Amino acid sequence: MAEPLLSIRNLTVQFRVDSGWVSAVDDVSLDVGEGDCVGIVGESGSGKSVTALSILQLHGRATTRMPSGSISYRGEDLLRAPGAALRRIRGREIAMIFQDPMSSLNPVLTIADQISETLRQHEGLTGAAARKRVVELLGFVRIPDAARRADDYPHRLSGGMRQRVMIAMAIACKPRLLIADEPTTALDVTIQAQILELLRELRREMGMSVMLISHDLGVIAEFAQRVVVMYAGRVVEQAPVAELFSHPVHPYTTGLIAAVPKLDSDAKRLTTIVGRIPSPQEDIPGCRFSPRCSLVQESCLLAPPPMLDVSALQAARCPPQVMAWGDRHG
Amino acid sequence: MTDVGITSLAVNAVAAAPRRHGTFRRLLRHRSFVIGFTIILLLTLAAVLAPLISSIDPTAMKVRFRFRPPSAAFWFGTDQFGRDVFTRVLYGARISLFVGFAVSVISGICGALLGVIAAQFRRLDGPIMRLMDALMSFPAILLALGIAAALGPRVSSVIIALTVAYIPAGVRIVRAAALTVREMDYVQAAKVSGASSLRIIFRHILPNCLSPLLVHLTFIFAYAMLAEAALSFIGVGIQPPIASWGNIIAEGRDYATQAWWVMLFPGIAISLAALSLNLLGDALGDMLDPRLKGGE
Repeated sequence: MAEPLLSIRNLTVQFRVDSGWVSAVDDVSLDVGEGDCVGIVGESGSGKSVTALSILQLHGRATTRMPSGSISYRGEDLLRAPGAALRRIRGREIAMIFQDPMSSLNPVLTIADQISETLRQHEGLTGAAARKRVVELLGFVRIPDAARRADDYPHRLSGGMRQRVMIAMAIACKPRLLIADEPTTALDVTIQAQILELLRELRREMGMSVMLISHDLGVIAEFAQRVVVMYAGRVVEQAPVAELFSHPVHPYTTGLIAAVPKLDSDAKRLTTIVGRIPSPQEDIPGCRFSPRCSLVQESCLLAPPPMLDVSALQAARCPPQVMAWGDRHG
Repeated sequence: MTDVGITSLAVNAVAAAPRRHGTFRRLLRHRSFVIGFTIILLLTLAAVLAPLISSIDPTAMKVRFRFRPPSAAFWFGTDQFGRDVFTRVLYGARISLFVGFAVSVISGICGALLGVIAAQFRRLDGPIMRLMDALMSFPAILLALGIAAALGPRVSSVIIALTVAYIPAGVRIVRAAALTVREMDYVQAAKVSGASSLRIIFRHILPNCLSPLLVHLTFIFAYAMLAEAALSFIGVGIQPPIASWGNIIAEGRDYATQAWWVMLFPGIAISLAALSLNLLGDALGDMLDPRLKGGE
């Protein structure tokens, strides 16, 4: 594979708490290739959003540190990039949309004002030229009556419309990578489908890479090409979407997939994974999933397991299961 | 000095509602806003049009007419020098309202800037807020008294003294609001789109912190007017023969038993102005509180 667009290597992110520093993200590595669509899935608290926010250095400096690792975007290390370089990348090269469209738009600025901020910042567009682009962009994200909508304040728009505006803002300068942090979680199901469809179309038309963060396996299955499963701050499994769903290797992934309700099943109870995700402060030697794992072995409790390749495309952080898989498939 | 009412209206319209006349209509339905606004408008008009309303010179002494009670010729009576109290109250409104207006505007601007800086730059937060705490540890009127006495009895020193005394509350209000606003997703979104920190502060954070400050400033207007009256009454404020509501009362005090009208009418003017500004502040508070906005 050629050099990926974005490459995260051994990233550890720690937050300050009363008793010192705790790791919210621990030794995470992942790549996003040119035109790739990578899904990151995990429970709340698994570190998926923290990872995403680290890419654009959006954590408060005083309470966060990244003692190890690197995030390189086209060869440039974002962790060590100076402020000006970072500002040039933000919005122009890498854009981001957030979970809650209700609070991601500034209530005192019109839609046109907010979108043209990005255009002004990166392309020096102002006045009529900027406005023309804004209306184009709003049309591009399928907002009806774009010319009139542009002058509205955010509170006049529905959640789905606001998320479309957020997307218009994000793609205003044709970024190469779009990070979508739970873009559909706050929306109802029909709007979710529309927004995913829109993102898919934009990706096709603009050829941008997308990093989609979600706790919804359905969304991931529908949208992503490659999936990264995170648990308690660590990547536990990485695989192309088809492989992941057809033969998950890590017990956590297996559990997650089993927990998805099936339309054709008449089971009375939904399948769950026993227990809950540990807090980052809990000190668990060995595999962090071991307290909840039904296949736990003695070796799991001793040391943090390494990430092992299952095949050329798939890797999991569970040596016993990777071995077992290898035995079965020779 | 109607400017305060009008600017707050305009800001309110931008901040809270999509269509200006929608907000305006809502304001008109709010009874205390209408009452407060009308009174302050009338007082302002009286101050501005003073020479047209009364042809008498506020400082002209006619000893022949000392201590005349209110009558058709002298509506509010005359003082110990035979000066017309009605005319002096009109001209006094100029000073009193100007001081109130200037203090609320200047302390508002300083408060907004310092507050947002304290919230945004952690290194300056400590120094700024400790300085404000130090200022707050003195009663405002005592602090103003000290500063006004040190600077000398001029209108400008009264304004400076009161501004310094009232800045800390504004800084605290804006800082608290800014600490909330800067965690909002839209600030994060602005950062993501590559905006510089100055732009984030002035375009995204500050405008969203202004509504509590605006309400606070209408009260500061009233406090400053009262404090100016108090300072002038004590003698470190506006000096005679220039009329301010405070020093008319101060001068009338010695003769309160024989000429009650000298103190009464400027006293009523102060109460009316303070009342109307408080009504206005309450109404703005209601308007800008999203929870009271109803099903919009």
